[in-house]
Amino acid sequence: MSSGNRLRRRVLVAATSAAVVILASACAGTASTSTSSSAATSGTPSPTTTAPLVIGASVSLTGDFADSGKAVKAGYELWADEVNKKGGILGRQVQMKIVDDTSSPTQVVTNYQNLITQDKVDLVFGPFSSLLTIPASQVAKRYSYAFIEPAGGGPKVFAQKLDNLFFVQPAPVVKSGDVYADWILSLPKADQPKTAAYAELDDPFSAPIAENIRARFEAAGIQTVYKQVYPAETRDLTAIMSKVAAANPDVLVSGTQSEDAYSQVKSLVQLKFSPKFMFMSNGANSPVEFPSKVGVNNVNGIMSTADWYPGSPAESSPAFVAAYTAKYGGAETDIDPSSAEAFSCGQLLEQVAAKTGKIDNATIISTLHQGTWPTLVGNLSWDAIGQPTGSFSLIQWINQKLTPVFPADVAKAAPVYPKPNWGG
Amino acid sequence: MNVPALARGGVLTVALLALPLLGLEHWVLNLLIFTLMYAAMSSAWNLVGGFAGYPSLGHAAFFGFGAYFIGLWFQHHDVVSGYEPFVILPLVGLLAALVGAPIGWIAMRTRADVFAIVTITLLFVAQTLAFNLDDLTGGAQGLAMPTPPFELARFEWPFYYAMLWILLLSMALTYLSMRSKVGLSLDTVRADEDKALGIGIHVQGVKVLSFSVSVGLVAMAGGVWAYYETFVYPQFAFDPLITIGMVLMVFLGGRATLWGPILGAVILVPGQQYLAYKLGGSQLYLIAYAAVFLLIMLLMPRGILPTVADRLRRRRAVGTSSDAGPPTAAPPSAGAGSSVPVPSGGTA
Amino acid sequence: MHALIQGLILGILTGGVYALMASGQTLIFGIMKVVNLAQGAMVILAAYFSYTLFADFGVDPLLAIPLTTAVMFGLGVVIQLVFLRPLKREDSAQLSLLVTFAVALLLEGFMSVTWRTTYRSINTDYANASWTLFGYQFTVVRMIAFVLSLVSLGLLFLLLNRTRFGRAVRATVQNPMSAELLGVESKRVAALGFGLGAATAAAAGSVYGLLYPFNSGSHYDLISELLSIVVLGGMGSVGGAVIAALIVSTSSAVVATMFNPTWSSFTFFVILILVLLIRPQGLFGTVERGAL
Repeated sequence: MSSGNRLRRRVLVAATSAAVVILASACAGTASTSTSSSAATSGTPSPTTTAPLVIGASVSLTGDFADSGKAVKAGYELWADEVNKKGGILGRQVQMKIVDDTSSPTQVVTNYQNLITQDKVDLVFGPFSSLLTIPASQVAKRYSYAFIEPAGGGPKVFAQKLDNLFFVQPAPVVKSGDVYADWILSLPKADQPKTAAYAELDDPFSAPIAENIRARFEAAGIQTVYKQVYPAETRDLTAIMSKVAAANPDVLVSGTQSEDAYSQVKSLVQLKFSPKFMFMSNGANSPVEFPSKVGVNNVNGIMSTADWYPGSPAESSPAFVAAYTAKYGGAETDIDPSSAEAFSCGQLLEQVAAKTGKIDNATIISTLHQGTWPTLVGNLSWDAIGQPTGSFSLIQWINQKLTPVFPADVAKAAPVYPKPNWGG
Repeated sequence: MNVPALARGGVLTVALLALPLLGLEHWVLNLLIFTLMYAAMSSAWNLVGGFAGYPSLGHAAFFGFGAYFIGLWFQHHDVVSGYEPFVILPLVGLLAALVGAPIGWIAMRTRADVFAIVTITLLFVAQTLAFNLDDLTGGAQGLAMPTPPFELARFEWPFYYAMLWILLLSMALTYLSMRSKVGLSLDTVRADEDKALGIGIHVQGVKVLSFSVSVGLVAMAGGVWAYYETFVYPQFAFDPLITIGMVLMVFLGGRATLWGPILGAVILVPGQQYLAYKLGGSQLYLIAYAAVFLLIMLLMPRGILPTVADRLRRRRAVGTSSDAGPPTAAPPSAGAGSSVPVPSGGTA
Repeated sequence: MHALIQGLILGILTGGVYALMASGQTLIFGIMKVVNLAQGAMVILAAYFSYTLFADFGVDPLLAIPLTTAVMFGLGVVIQLVFLRPLKREDSAQLSLLVTFAVALLLEGFMSVTWRTTYRSINTDYANASWTLFGYQFTVVRMIAFVLSLVSLGLLFLLLNRTRFGRAVRATVQNPMSAELLGVESKRVAALGFGLGAATAAAAGSVYGLLYPFNSGSHYDLISELLSIVVLGGMGSVGGAVIAALIVSTSSAVVATMFNPTWSSFTFFVILILVLLIRPQGLFGTVERGAL
């Protein structure tokens, strides 16, 4: 045997022992954390247990979804604090175990695997984004965990037809623009727009909203004069907006996320084109960012949708706002709706526990499939595959303030139309 | 035949085959699946990036190709037993290799650093296609796979064995090419391409062959990944970070060695995933990762295996000067200079 | 026709900015044979500097450029000395690819800690202003960006052609060996050259911040675009980079306005591949013999 071989074997041994060390330390980690929590898949912890109720969640603290991920984390942790002040759930203190998925689908699978089978958490909540919710919900389903999730409402999430999944927003993404179509089509025929343009960001949470509105509009005879889908990395929407301006539509329906919404408005201002009606699915519903990015004088008349918003009529909203500002500082308008959606996930658990006296996964799944559940983001109920059956509220910038305007039961002002010109 | 090398390979194979039987927990198997996946892909990347010296940054294009192929195939075919996606894996690999051949032929007309850029461009082209051909790929809505119908207790096993199979295949091909004229030719190409051409090596043929085989292997790993994740999305399947992962692992372990890429994967994948799980909340994660990366590059530019082997050999050479035979896999710098291959036209 | 001309105007104006970003990249390659994957991250870093100066101290991004340029020049020199100089081996071309990528990650990590990952944009009072000439829109920021890029490129040109340092740089680009023989201190030139590349990133960053919203992850998009431009122009050729930048941005803008924005980035990748098929060395590159 040559010395080369001996050397290489030694290296190999070193490598394998390194791997073993990593695995061993990982196992040690399990042992220490799993002692405190109850067994995972093996059924119901007795109601009398006083061990803390550990809820695991993976959110994006780094990477593409980091900002929203942090807002979700803030919502989960705020709820845990609040419920613990009230004595926890069924006498058990709630402990959130939140880990980072770096916005990666591979890491999100690893995280839920680890949460459920290594740390043996009692319950799990969802991550941020439909893209991560899909692989994560599959893991949860495999271990029969309830999957209450605040931020995965894209069509492909529900195409999985999972019975353990509950999307904690008033309506699935596709239907979230319905309220705008409802309002436009409720106007007297003479006031309705005759022509429409659509500018849609190519992702699962934006384009489908505009497409759904387009289908409704076309069925009602509103003519499509321009439609364009643009990729997420489009930095510059001037080209598209100048074609929108050239098509001169009565209504512009934008399937937007955030930055692209700001960019659309800026381009339109530069092009000096102001449509009579303007709807943006997201971005325009951000109370602080939107006016600061496009200029406070350019917001009036633009419409968007919301579930929770500053001044929301939800019964628990004032307490939520007080708790949020006490814990994180800032003002009511600084609260990201994602935090409210995450908080609502916890509110559901409290109600299930109060109603059934139990807090295991099977009970949660079967209980949430019946009835209507009041939360920060409205009264929720779900169909068999976790699609919420409610609707969003239509909000509009009036006097530089986001104001709910439709449907009538939430409206605080009458919708303003036509939209005032830029700077007005 | 190098009996000890084969014996080592055999021991490793048996050990890895037996691992799931030890009753490992689900999360451990999950970690092993991703580790094997990266080990297989790094080992495959090594054929082009390590042995031929062409640092491809576009291998993730083929990872995505495999993922989408499997995803699309099962939009039109049913999954009954659950094993169908594994059965068509060889087809995926073959197709990717076929697609890769002309691409490699074009891209490898350029030299190393331009090649890196051309291949990363390829990656973005592939991603754009996946987004834009939405009638075919589902575009930005993504593509959902059927749920694997395996029983919970052994859910991870098929994925584990599929990844293991790709790894063993990749290592076997690496081993064979190191033992054959192809390996010698690649050594020479890496050392000095003009000279290699001068002494009659079919340079373009050898390079394209290694590229083709390499991307075929990566595509198979992509196929298994897609099935395990149950969801394919352009940005995730065609992710530059996947290529970067392969490159890093090869450089960490040692380029143009049989075991280097595997060592790199065994250190990096569990390390990274475990750190992200345990300390992910810390914003310093990315900085720490980059710092480790830089340290390795500056302290061990040739990777762990060659550096350690060198150091040990030097120490031994001081003791018994006669017993300093060359290591089984020559480290990059030592490779071609000493062993000029027999000129031959074919690529064997 | 209107759309075509509007597209061309947009493309040319944007092309100036890209030319500026890519000139630094190609310069670094020319001098050191290093493909600098951190160029995009340096641009974004400079954009953040200029954002902070604007948001916290009210300094107009245009006035901030001299300051950010000086800072970035220093940073560039440090990066070269600490991370790139130690690479001496013959495969340093490959290694430097990885090292500069790691530097990019390091900068990204630093930026996401310092400024978090929220998108930022520099909203000056002229951000939304525009002029209309003959029915075509010229936005003020875009005009400013274009003029600034031209001025910066002009300065770079003067530096390269009218100074001792510039002559040394050009000699090194053409033939490092004989430059050394003629008494050029190649190590010093390399460090200063990397600094110069970083300095162009500084000017480009201020302009970039005026035009687009950005966050710490924005550099990933820039990497592929800048590399494509540099390769298309011929690696190491500043003039080639400028022309390639104009080709790339006008073709993307025209495709976006005339056809469909989802295919605009695709267009220039296709142009790149076609050019490389015919001229593997790029439009204005020279054929390199032997190992780099």
